[in-house]
Amino acid sequence: MLKYLLAAPYLAALFMTAPARADFPETVQQHILPGYAKLAATSADLAAAAQKSCDATALQPAFHAAFDAWLGVQHLHFGPVEADGLGLSIQFWPDPKGSGAKAQRSLLLGDPAALLPENFADQSVAARGLAGLERLLYPTKSLPADPCALIRATAHDLARVTDMINTAWIETYANTLLTAGDAGNTVFLTQSEVRQLLFTQVIAGLEFAQDQRLGRPLGSFDAPRPERAESIASGRSLINLQQSLLSLRDMAQTLTPDAPKTMAAFDRALGMMGKLQDPTFANVATIQGRLKTEIVQQSITALRDTALAELGPALGVSIGFNAADGD
Amino acid sequence: MATRRAFLAGMAAACLPAPTWADVGSPAFLAAGKHGNGFVLHGLSALGVSLFNIDLPARGHAAAAHPTQAIAVAFARRPGTFAVVLDCLTGRVRHQLTPPLGRQFNGHGAFSADGSLLMTSEVEAVGSAGRIGVWETATFTRIGEWDSGGIGPHDLKRLPGGRLVIANGGIQTDPFDRTKLNLPDMRPNLTLLSPSGEILDQVELAPELRQNSIRHLAVMPGGVAFAMQWEGDAADPVPQLGLWMPGAAPRLCPPAQSGAFAMRGYAGSIAVSSAGNLIGLTSAKAGAVMLFDTAGTPTATHHRADISGIANGAAGLIATDGQGAVWRVETDGLSLLSQTDVAWDNHLISLDFAG
Repeated sequence: MLKYLLAAPYLAALFMTAPARADFPETVQQHILPGYAKLAATSADLAAAAQKSCDATALQPAFHAAFDAWLGVQHLHFGPVEADGLGLSIQFWPDPKGSGAKAQRSLLLGDPAALLPENFADQSVAARGLAGLERLLYPTKSLPADPCALIRATAHDLARVTDMINTAWIETYANTLLTAGDAGNTVFLTQSEVRQLLFTQVIAGLEFAQDQRLGRPLGSFDAPRPERAESIASGRSLINLQQSLLSLRDMAQTLTPDAPKTMAAFDRALGMMGKLQDPTFANVATIQGRLKTEIVQQSITALRDTALAELGPALGVSIGFNAADGD
Repeated sequence: MATRRAFLAGMAAACLPAPTWADVGSPAFLAAGKHGNGFVLHGLSALGVSLFNIDLPARGHAAAAHPTQAIAVAFARRPGTFAVVLDCLTGRVRHQLTPPLGRQFNGHGAFSADGSLLMTSEVEAVGSAGRIGVWETATFTRIGEWDSGGIGPHDLKRLPGGRLVIANGGIQTDPFDRTKLNLPDMRPNLTLLSPSGEILDQVELAPELRQNSIRHLAVMPGGVAFAMQWEGDAADPVPQLGLWMPGAAPRLCPPAQSGAFAMRGYAGSIAVSSAGNLIGLTSAKAGAVMLFDTAGTPTATHHRADISGIANGAAGLIATDGQGAVWRVETDGLSLLSQTDVAWDNHLISLDFAG
């Protein structure tokens, strides 16, 4: 675990220079397509590793590699990943009612035919994906049956889903974005629509970090909820937050070179996280730990506000007219 | 209380032959929007083509259309202190409606079937207790008010027989800044009023769904379809659609599990096409329109950024978005009908009075 934390090769991205040109085609070519390709490749590796061995310890590095790759694209809530709940089937979190664990228990104790590839795709999205694999590879209590077949089925399904998304992007959806505004493109009527969509993903990603990744464990002052943090069992809570922020930073950078305050706010927030030394946000239960975590959360709020004020105008867009209104 | 000036204006207007919807091109829909820095109300054809447009004094929320005369009432955004009665032929403001002291308009209104009355959803500014303002429409003078049967009424729709169904959203808001004040204890309900304002029926949601604010309505045979906005934990999968046939309990219609969060817990507008066996819900927050059959079974979800207005017309369900596009909505997908530089606002109002 510690080794994993220290390796942190992704931090290198922080110091990469800005691309010479930046607009939505760069986001597609340099952020989205490589992100989904990496997710599909690491998921395929994980599935292959699971075929060789069901040993949890042996599979953990491949699990982390796939999860790291997922955080490169997890903030993208449009296009192929939105079809048929595919995104949910990659990671079902938060899951306050524990529906994933319940569905997995049924799968472990039930008819093995449900684990056949052709049937597994129809199982509950809550049972599948990275959260499902985490429960099997880092069990917090003894599992009711041998998980080997379920590990293999889940990893295989993850590889299938991520390959489907990657293929859809390569074969059609990248072009749908890149031809925005062309005659015949009825998904994106103007290029500005694409910029607005991508900008919205950055803002929503920051809100998810603030409200869910940090907000859930923080709970309230009187009732901190450290047990609600993401990926506690695999020790990834803070890593997930850091990696998602780095991905959002990378995305913003491919969109425009004209958002220096936003970049600085990203770096400030990432700097705060780097000092947290609380891999699963367990310290939110202490006053001191809570204060430190709240400071990180505030740095993300400030980052979001900066991005709204600077990144949006730099792209010539804002949050949707109706989406921002509420009713 | 009508001012002398408004009264005289009303008398003058009453002396002119009232233009009908045919005089303004027989629009199928009304839609408010933003054009440049100004706000406008458009009449749209069944295929989404603008037939007329009128400047609005401020951002509108929804409009109510007179059943025969080319008169639209545009309501300000919540909490609103004005509504304007617009002559859709001349574009002139015929009347400005102001709620009584201590009351605020809450977004929606509905005409009686014969057009002689206008009912407006209102709240007491302090406490958000619901009221339905009743206005006669010859001079647009307030003639009375009814209890809405709950807190924070939003949409209201006329049912056959002159009954009125009201979505009491349950949310108490700050009179100045829309801050929600009672989310832990909110209790939305659906209330059915008689033509004279007595409560005929009322239903609430199950306790675990009390934070699902019932906000918008669409009339369907035997009752209404209603759309909800979740104020609880975003991680809880909750339905956005319900059906209520007065006399029976409301029935909730959850999305498929794969679409449990596709609307982000939020439905902003709702429409029913009984002929097309289709109910459409929009979520601008999610950029999604979710479709169900009229039995409440989910059939499809389509994605489009900032899609919000949806209404039923002769050509089926039509939706509008904040980028200026008008779409035909079918189970197979969205197809583009028209595109302008007007950012279409929250609601699309159908002028199809046949249903």
